[in-house]
Amino acid sequence: MTRPIFSDTKGDFYSINFEKGARENTIILNMGPQHPSTHGVLRILLELDGEYIVRAEPVLGYLHRMHEKMGEVKTVGQYMANMGRVDYLHAMAWNWAWAGAAERLAGIEVPERAEYLRIIATELNRIASHQVWWGAYILDLGAFTPILYSFEDREKILDMLQMMSGARLTFSYFRLGGVANDVPPVFFDRLREFIPYMRNRLNMYHALVTGNMILKQRIEGIGVMDVDACNRYGATGPMCRGSGIAHDTRRAEPYGLYDRFDFNIPVYHEGCCMARYMVRLDEIEESLKILEQAVAAIPEGPVLPAKPLKFNAKLPAGEAYYAVEGGRGKIGVWVASDGGKTPYRIKLRAPGFSNLSIFSELAEGTLIADSIAILGSLDLVIPEVDR
Amino acid sequence: MIPAPLASFDLLYLAREDHARTGSAWLGVMALQDIPAIAKALLAAGYHLEDISGLDAAEGAVAAYHFDHFTTPGRITLLALAPHDAPVFPSIAAIYQGAEWHERETRDFFGYVFTDNPNFIPLLLPDDMADIHPLKKPEAARASLLTLFAGEGRGSEVQRKAEGFTLLDQPAPTAADDAKAAPAEAKQPEAKADDQPDGGKDA
Repeated sequence: MTRPIFSDTKGDFYSINFEKGARENTIILNMGPQHPSTHGVLRILLELDGEYIVRAEPVLGYLHRMHEKMGEVKTVGQYMANMGRVDYLHAMAWNWAWAGAAERLAGIEVPERAEYLRIIATELNRIASHQVWWGAYILDLGAFTPILYSFEDREKILDMLQMMSGARLTFSYFRLGGVANDVPPVFFDRLREFIPYMRNRLNMYHALVTGNMILKQRIEGIGVMDVDACNRYGATGPMCRGSGIAHDTRRAEPYGLYDRFDFNIPVYHEGCCMARYMVRLDEIEESLKILEQAVAAIPEGPVLPAKPLKFNAKLPAGEAYYAVEGGRGKIGVWVASDGGKTPYRIKLRAPGFSNLSIFSELAEGTLIADSIAILGSLDLVIPEVDR
Repeated sequence: MIPAPLASFDLLYLAREDHARTGSAWLGVMALQDIPAIAKALLAAGYHLEDISGLDAAEGAVAAYHFDHFTTPGRITLLALAPHDAPVFPSIAAIYQGAEWHERETRDFFGYVFTDNPNFIPLLLPDDMADIHPLKKPEAARASLLTLFAGEGRGSEVQRKAEGFTLLDQPAPTAADDAKAAPAEAKQPEAKADDQPDGGKDA
């Protein structure tokens, strides 16, 4: 075995590497990987001048599981179970990204009822994802109560998603060519009740938190990024929509039946944490609109094609890229196949990865407390960043 | 109508793609030395970087760059090819700062070198795994680019091709090829991959 080229220093490699560039009279602070505000296991190295951040560098990999390698040793059907574990808050979107990429490469048609169920599952999951973010973000900023309300509402969504998929968090509901199974009739009653209920609760979220003076002072005008920064870092989702870019993969690159639905893309121009906050809350309302239309229009029929692709089917030779809009931004799956038993190469584009990469730039020159507000506004899910 | 930022470069290959089939609007192959200049032109035209990834093909080490535009969507897939024994690519992290992490990840997985990346240290894999690159394939397992970029009708709208560039020349379809390209189903009911570890816990 050859000698590792990076580890010939004693002590923690990343700290030593980070200290090399330090100025005089600054201190190096290690935050994480077990810090509550880093939501999971993100580690950040900070160089501080008093309470101001001179330099910040995220250190990743604490939750890295090499999903891309697992994709090369599993069949297309087996790999679906991985998708629920990449981003546990919006697993349905990752389900869709993988199913979509394989279907695009193999040229599989999806029955209409399955397309509707996919949209219902993904939008419900999107609301749940934003609810967790909202509660946890306010918690980061020091207010405990709101997360109790958002988790109460999220339970109702998880009950519905459980009826669909049998799971409450790491869903594997999608199948190549459709979804695993149809929903029981009571599901639609629950969903019809949920839509007006959630609208009321959304108003309550705003009344409880959005106008709060302390919140405004903590997040308005903090962590400002512009269109150019979004391009340079590939920041998507609420990050770019909070910076004045009306870009949503559901519109830009319509997939499934999204082109049949009437919904808005919430856009705010301030580019700050407050703008991203407002985008996410507005998206809950847009998802409710989509759900309303889906419940009204869903046709009867099968949820899988007459001849569904088998669990261990081979993909034809070729490559395909499939992008979907997840709660955190543009999810991309690039699959290349040589026609063999398992895919030749799978690349997972995680929106959180690109969104977090901008943190060093945003945190420079801010107070530590503001950097927590910025970090939370990125809506990080570390398993997705690390994959 | 070649995308404006690409028009002034001598790409080795550029073809229009069918988005419904491949997800891309364009597929191009860049000469290694042109990568930074092309990235600069794409950024100036408002393109964002989606990702950079590796692909270990028989013909060489491939770096794949995906770009897209927020207001006039149309994915551009650009490939660059380096020899297996010297997988060295110029970094674009000075232009697209987000590329720094993508390049470091590709180093972890494939062992590629991106010259002038400002912080070229391991990103996702531990630092004592610096010489283990899990997505590199043994020579016998490498597939040809022709196979990986196969597909009916592919390459029918080639806009540019450098002299002597034949890597993506699709052979004329024959009946035998058609049968081969159809989604064949595996004969064995039990796939070997069943007993793969799950990859640990999810938080």
